[in-house]
Amino acid sequence: MNALPLPVALADVLARGDVWRGDTLASLPEATIPSGYPELDAELPGGGWPRGGLSEFLVERSSVGELSLLLPALACLSRADGWLALVAPPWLPHAPAWAAAGVVPERLVIVRTEREVAWSVEQLLLCGGFAAVLAWPDERIDARALRRLQVAAEGRPALACLWRGAGVAEQPSPAPLRVALAADEQALAVRILKRRGRPASRSLCLPFSSSLFRPGRSSRVVAGPALSVLADRIPAAAPAA
Amino acid sequence: MWLGDAAAGEAGVCPGQKLATALGLVPGLTVFERDKQRERLALEGLAGWAGRFTPNLSLAPPDEILLDIGGCLRLFGGIDAITSAIVAGCHEQGYTPQLGVAPTALGARWLARVGGGAVCADTESLSAALAVLPCPVTRWPPEVLARLESFGLRHLGELRALPGAGLRRRLGNGPLDDLSRAWGELPDPQKAFVFPEQFAASLELPSRVEHAEALIFAGQRLFSTLAGWLHVRQQRVRRCTLHLVHDDGAWSAVPLHFAEASAEEGRFLRLLREHLGRLTLRAPVEALRLQADELADRPADSAHLFEQAPSGEGALACLERLRARLGEPSVRALALVADYRPECATREQDPLRDTGPSTAGEAPPGRPRPLWLLPHPQLLHESRGGPLWHGPLRLLSPPERLESGWWDAGERQATGDVRRDYFVARNPLGQWVWIFRSAEGWFLHGLFA
Repeated sequence: MNALPLPVALADVLARGDVWRGDTLASLPEATIPSGYPELDAELPGGGWPRGGLSEFLVERSSVGELSLLLPALACLSRADGWLALVAPPWLPHAPAWAAAGVVPERLVIVRTEREVAWSVEQLLLCGGFAAVLAWPDERIDARALRRLQVAAEGRPALACLWRGAGVAEQPSPAPLRVALAADEQALAVRILKRRGRPASRSLCLPFSSSLFRPGRSSRVVAGPALSVLADRIPAAAPAA
Repeated sequence: MWLGDAAAGEAGVCPGQKLATALGLVPGLTVFERDKQRERLALEGLAGWAGRFTPNLSLAPPDEILLDIGGCLRLFGGIDAITSAIVAGCHEQGYTPQLGVAPTALGARWLARVGGGAVCADTESLSAALAVLPCPVTRWPPEVLARLESFGLRHLGELRALPGAGLRRRLGNGPLDDLSRAWGELPDPQKAFVFPEQFAASLELPSRVEHAEALIFAGQRLFSTLAGWLHVRQQRVRRCTLHLVHDDGAWSAVPLHFAEASAEEGRFLRLLREHLGRLTLRAPVEALRLQADELADRPADSAHLFEQAPSGEGALACLERLRARLGEPSVRALALVADYRPECATREQDPLRDTGPSTAGEAPPGRPRPLWLLPHPQLLHESRGGPLWHGPLRLLSPPERLESGWWDAGERQATGDVRRDYFVARNPLGQWVWIFRSAEGWFLHGLFA
């Protein structure tokens, strides 16, 4: 008689976001944001970029298309009237490019600070009014600050992304999702270092498409050597425009 | 001697003594002179604060405030709830209130004077409570009180039991009319306290303050007065200034600028904390003065019906605090400008000024624009005719010519006339960049990320 409630309770436990079976991906309590790349969504717990937790993006070298990976999600949040924040961005944001990608520039807040990055991110997450917070902390950000940020992000409906160097891949981090990005000749290699669920075995290659040069369109992952596609397309597009 | 604190009372100092007697009892007694003007200001300040409970209140100088709470009992959830909120609020501001609740104004004042917090909700309990009050509580003229004493009348109940006509002949009309007012037999209209049109409140600090953080507690009192005043006037404040009066007579101002007009005390204090946290006092502070500079009418707010209110303070309040800590130029939003020179196509603006989405200056369709621009174009080295940036750059797009800009040529810090051919390029490490060639050579200008 007493055996009946047990499976129900077990199912309840498994439905929690922080408990998962070793052979599957966790289902998250908060709705995720579709990344815009179906192959990537299939590898992410909950089927998209997570809300309510830190996501770390480890980039060995910048300007390899790392932000374009997030742009479809950011555009989706911005269209829903959400505020986005860039904390300590490495360069000046170029408004026409962000606008063409679907991000409303007036709702994109730039916070310039060197020493108060962690504090600013924490405040932006805690206030609950931001849909996404992207931050570029310097190398000195320590584990304690990261833990504070993870606690601040927990349960908040915001996409919280930290951009860090590839050198910290070996260091432990409280972020539930860690993604390493690298570029080769034809594709952006996305390697999920850590996620809630079974570990990812291989890295995912998202070939460069015309999305980089026509940022307004939703990106399609195209097979084959994308650069030749690109090279073909641009002269073809020029007379039409 | 007018009043002494608890320690003085234990030493035998009591009101009415001569100062010499008091100093004889306690040689080290600290003596302050009574300042009626400041008492009056304190009473008005407290009245302003009490505006949060009821808009109908009147002052009864020197030391009493009458609040008409009959109309707002349901709002606050009963007499007990409202009185405990009032007492707690007074304590927070450093006052020790004595209160009485009664259906008549004079009855409530007399009950308050004996202390004990008597609460009489109806006239029967009021007459019972008034009957046992001693006569001096009425603060009638001394000769009247002396005469009552000689009659052997100690309590108001005994006075009321006597025939009125004879008493009137002996004591005059004033005391008897007061009795009738207290019992509710005569109307007792009160002069309503008029909330000032402009808000300015000052507070003298008990001792000189050398650290800015220590001002927060004192500031709290001023801001709670402001909140009460705003509540009565159904307004919000957008800008206010806290003036610090230094001991050398000089002033310094701490301007507080709110992202959206606000009437919430907690928000005032959070912003004040950020400002004072960064402030270094140039001289010790003696007094504070708070002034509301810009007000806005308060829109009627309605509670959420289905959705829970989002947790947290919201984006605007957060930006306001970030701006207070990091400085205004460090927290910006973007806007598009219809200018095809890349460095002029972005304008940074105040994020709190909601201008709505702009459509100007969108990149021409099909033309690549990078997400990041360098603050200044960076001159690239060349090798064998091609530009170098972490290796030779391979040009991937046909040139896009952007030129002209004569209209601001020669102005300070303006981009001026340009003549550039832009290319998308990639280096052997896989980095996508936006470079241009001009008469001066190859430059790196943007990064595709």
